[in-house]
Amino acid sequence: MNDVVHPSDTAGTRGSAVHAAGVSLKDLRKSYGTNEVLKGISLDVAPGEVVCLIGPSGSGKSTLLRCVNLLEKPNEGTIHVGGFEATDPDVDIDKMRRKVGMVFQQFNLFPHLNALQNCTIAQTKVLKRGQAEADKVAHANLERVGLGHLADRFPDQLSGGQQQRVAIARALSMDPELMLFDEPTSALDPETVGDVLSVMRNLAKEGMTMLVVTHEMGFAREVADRVVFMDGGVVVEEGVAEQVISAPTQSRTKEFLKRVLDPTHIDISK
Amino acid sequence: MAMTARQRAKVSLYVQAGIFVVAVAALILATDWKTIGTSVFNFGKIGPMFPDIFLSGLKNTLIYTALGFIVGLSGGLLLALMKLSSFPLYRWIATGYIEFFRGIPALLVFIAFGYGVPLAFGVQWNVTVVVMISLGMVAAAYIAETLRAGLQAVPRGQLEAARSLGMPQWRAMVSIVIPQAFRIVLPPLTNEVILLTKDSSLIYVLGLTASQYELTKFGRDGISSLGAGLTPLLVAGAFYLVITIPLSLLARKFESRSARTKR
Repeated sequence: MNDVVHPSDTAGTRGSAVHAAGVSLKDLRKSYGTNEVLKGISLDVAPGEVVCLIGPSGSGKSTLLRCVNLLEKPNEGTIHVGGFEATDPDVDIDKMRRKVGMVFQQFNLFPHLNALQNCTIAQTKVLKRGQAEADKVAHANLERVGLGHLADRFPDQLSGGQQQRVAIARALSMDPELMLFDEPTSALDPETVGDVLSVMRNLAKEGMTMLVVTHEMGFAREVADRVVFMDGGVVVEEGVAEQVISAPTQSRTKEFLKRVLDPTHIDISK
Repeated sequence: MAMTARQRAKVSLYVQAGIFVVAVAALILATDWKTIGTSVFNFGKIGPMFPDIFLSGLKNTLIYTALGFIVGLSGGLLLALMKLSSFPLYRWIATGYIEFFRGIPALLVFIAFGYGVPLAFGVQWNVTVVVMISLGMVAAAYIAETLRAGLQAVPRGQLEAARSLGMPQWRAMVSIVIPQAFRIVLPPLTNEVILLTKDSSLIYVLGLTASQYELTKFGRDGISSLGAGLTPLLVAGAFYLVITIPLSLLARKFESRSARTKR
């Protein structure tokens, strides 16, 4: 853990078009009954930094991400997001969540609203923006994800990749200071993955703080400042993306990367 | 002589059709057509039923049903939300209410609110209020269960997405979950309206003036005044079908529409 590059060393190199917030997790523990999913996780994300969480399924990385905006309540530990302490029992959760955009594996677009309305409803109902202003912000964000021309389509009239990009525009319309991505490309057809990743790449360039659970090693290597490898509810290894992915030091990381980077690899020596 | 499977199926079909024809013929032969003609199908004498069957009977049935449905829908939504509440007391109250009102005959509820409650509290309720409360409270119990199923059918991710955008629980329910739940329950809800339409006939246990008669009471009144036997009741029955069959078709249309959008 000592050789971890300090977040601020890498974050300073990018633009700061957005107002970005940092995240700080300390000794986070989460159990479901007797099953401990997070076994004391500490992790810092500096404002403007992009961190990818990788690891085998069941390693606790999605649970960790969902703890950050309290979709899961941790049993122990503290979470700081921007100026909020999420784990303070008196925290205004709704106020905190406005600063935190969340993108889900299954998109979770509102099926009874079209793409534009998906991006305006929380603006008008939560931020109390006027309809005209909300529409303007929504249009700008749909343009930003390359879907300005499909604003009046309903979710079931869009492809998976388009739906996920609307979901990103929906989150961006709230002017978040931190974006959480929970395996955003895992439910997509292979040919639409690239569009979603390039939207995320642009977002990173603009200086957004991003915490991304992903299996896309190419994306992690190229875009992430740091990569955190989790297994069995603990952080096994973390460091500069290139180093963790190309030259991992821990055997569990090596094993995992070998399987992910070469899915057809079968070790018959055992 | 051995038959193929197809021949056997054909013979079986002929036998079934034969039994049906014989049964219908026996029924026709056994019927006392002369008596039936004067006491059930005596359409020559029902002229005086018109146009009042529209102006009071049909009109009042529709009004009573609509009032009952409005109360039932609001009450049912409240009960459904209570039943899904994380607060145990709300769940117990809702469960108790639903089990009670689904478990007793609706007729008893009409009698209770028509006679019992006004006596107990020394109040005077007009018929419209009694119908609205009685029909509404029974409907609420049935509608609550329908709505609860609809609310639970909305995927969990919808609530999570709404909450992640900073919506408080109530706002997420009002703007995101409930609108989707209503689409899901539209077909069963239409069926509830059909049941309610028929239950509105139970009002006959209350003392009504002629202008308050709904279809069934109107028909029963015709039996005693027109001398056409049961014919007026048959006419009233036909009017119920005029209301319920279109509703039934509507429910089927909702069903096919939601099946299509689900892909």
